[in-house]
Amino acid sequence: MSVAEAARVAVHRALPPEETARADFYALIARLLHSPPDNALLANVASAPALPADGDARLATAWQRLVDASSAMDADAAAEEYELLFGGVGKARVSIYAGFYAAAASEHPRVRLQTDMAALGLARPDQVTEPEDHFAALFDVMRILVAGGAGRSPATLAEQRRFYAGYVEPSAARFLAAVGSAPEANYYRHVAALAAAFTALESESFQLD
Amino acid sequence: MKTAKPNNRRNFLLAASLGTAGAAAGLTVARKPVEKAEGSTTDAQPSGYHASEHILKYYKTTEV
Repeated sequence: MSVAEAARVAVHRALPPEETARADFYALIARLLHSPPDNALLANVASAPALPADGDARLATAWQRLVDASSAMDADAAAEEYELLFGGVGKARVSIYAGFYAAAASEHPRVRLQTDMAALGLARPDQVTEPEDHFAALFDVMRILVAGGAGRSPATLAEQRRFYAGYVEPSAARFLAAVGSAPEANYYRHVAALAAAFTALESESFQLD
Repeated sequence: MKTAKPNNRRNFLLAASLGTAGAAAGLTVARKPVEKAEGSTTDAQPSGYHASEHILKYYKTTEV
């Protein structure tokens, strides 16, 4: 084997189970915020197992309620609810963009976000028209930083913490509270509760080494 | 007697059941692994994390 060939051999290490779980939660939340669930996803969530009772009670409860809601929901109703909540530029009941919830700053967070994503080797593909501060994109960036993907390896914990603290943590709680209190929210009230429980764990865990 | 809260990040996540929660959340996005979508890197990950068809479609719209 030549040196050049040897250099191409990558050593892959399996993610620990808790990191895989984090990636899975980020992936699921990103998917549900990107677009309403189809019937296949609803069926998958509806048949998912419960979380252990001896773990985080808030997460376990939110998870079970989403599981139960998924068994009662159908794709058409979910699509209608998604459109009512997040659809229509300027007419959405709840803004799904982090910039809406950011404190007044000299520059829109999207500008800084583009720069920071580029530093992580990530960028919005040309065919995607949604701004980078769409919450689905932010959660998906976190999924990539945790598990790797999009041509890059998992990020260091410091990189994950920096992105989370810079873009997810400052606005997610207000966004999720807005979803949870919107009169139009039915299924998405449970999505928001799960995301809030999960991000609360993330915020606390990032304080630890 | 109340158990002390873990002061180590990994222990904290494990105590929150995230060590086993992947078995629940992961199933919702990985129950039906499909062939690798063109241009997708998601099923090449060494983590055991796999993407289902609908999540792959989503990744194709967001990944570089």
